[in-house]
Amino acid sequence: MIKPVAYFKPGSLKEAVEALQTENAWPLAGGTDLLVNMRNGVEHPDLLVDIKGLEELNVFEVDGKIIIGGNINLNFIIDDARLRKVCPVLGQSALTVATYQLRNRATLVGNICNASPAADMAPALYVMEAEVVVSGPQGERHVPINEFITGVKKTSLKKGEVVLRVEIPNPKVGKTAFLKKQRYRGHDLATVNVAGIANPDTGTLRVCIGACAVTPVLLKGTDELYKSIKDVDELADKVSELALQSISPIDDVRSSAEYRRDMTAVYVKRLVRTICS
Amino acid sequence: MKEYTKELNITVKVNGREYHESVPANMTLLQFLRNKLLLTGTKEGCGIGECGACTVVMNGKTVTSCLVLAAEADGAEIRTIEGEAKGEKLTALQESFIKYHGEQCGFCTPGMIMSAQNLLDRNPKPTREEIVEAISGNLCRCTGYEPIIKAIEAVAEKGNR
Ligand code: FES
Ligand code: FES
Repeated sequence: MIKPVAYFKPGSLKEAVEALQTENAWPLAGGTDLLVNMRNGVEHPDLLVDIKGLEELNVFEVDGKIIIGGNINLNFIIDDARLRKVCPVLGQSALTVATYQLRNRATLVGNICNASPAADMAPALYVMEAEVVVSGPQGERHVPINEFITGVKKTSLKKGEVVLRVEIPNPKVGKTAFLKKQRYRGHDLATVNVAGIANPDTGTLRVCIGACAVTPVLLKGTDELYKSIKDVDELADKVSELALQSISPIDDVRSSAEYRRDMTAVYVKRLVRTICS
Repeated sequence: MKEYTKELNITVKVNGREYHESVPANMTLLQFLRNKLLLTGTKEGCGIGECGACTVVMNGKTVTSCLVLAAEADGAEIRTIEGEAKGEKLTALQESFIKYHGEQCGFCTPGMIMSAQNLLDRNPKPTREEIVEAISGNLCRCTGYEPIIKAIEAVAEKGNR
């Protein structure tokens, strides 16, 4: 059972920010994490601020910048033909999240606000250099995605703040992919997930690994490897070595740390071969 | 300071009929349907979004009603299993479930029908893969899924409803 709680659906951002400043208030979007945690007794909000009535959170644009509002659900991201063209890796990632019914509720912004190290939308947003646009008592601020997620279930959101949207200011062109290791085929959280983008013209290779540290890990130094190593198998080996130096996986219910390391090597190599050849 | 309330008045349309009710904010849509409206066709399996037994259609989209608050459904149009058959007349999909033994204990069936019907409504000729994906959020402990997939395929071939 969900414990008694107050509920408020603001019609304006001002009202929302005001409500979110009260004691123990939580924003409610899709609710697919929050309501589960409430039911399981993990979270005990006193006030749910339902942000689905806020206009500002319904934005969705793909011309030039990509803008995804806080109310945009994952099935929308999968189905939008224009986004599929400009940034297919987002839809690919979204398709691996939960089930069809849950994706009708679950939002991209919620996925990163939940800040699970295994968040499936995060690696793609890291390689795309996304920014999180936050509104609060002090006005609006833009936070790079890798500064937004700060730890296990931790973000840089402050009291009273709400995420309006995620922006990808310069959608990178190149070959992208998202790969996910899970315990069984079907719907499961990631044991390891990886996203990447490669562009031979600009010499950029970006690889991000999820579920193997307290936050997703964007590899540093991949551009140099990409520019200097022409053989794709050798490149895959080197990037995977770099990955193993950069992650710090733990043992948990889904996998041992050792297995995570092994799978990181396998999935990073597979990713590099996919996007670099 | 504004007072925020734990009890709300909501208006919800369920299977075409409008209801005005007062609900506690911690009541789920599933509890609202079953305990307030006594529409007990929709089932509770896990209560945490994993099994799909509680699947209903909200504003044209399937949702797990255990993870929607009744308060969030204010102003929404809901379709449940009770709205599928017209009196004694079953839908083509329901008939097909009977014909192909798509149900055994029946516990998953209301949610399964809602997911499958919603798929056929948005995509009348789904492929096998699309069918599997569409019902992948609906767990069934009895049938092994194959009869369910056949039942949906049969309707897709003949045309919906
Ligand atoms: S009861 Fe809702 S998904 Fe299981
Ligand atoms: S028929 Fe028994 S769970 Fe599906």
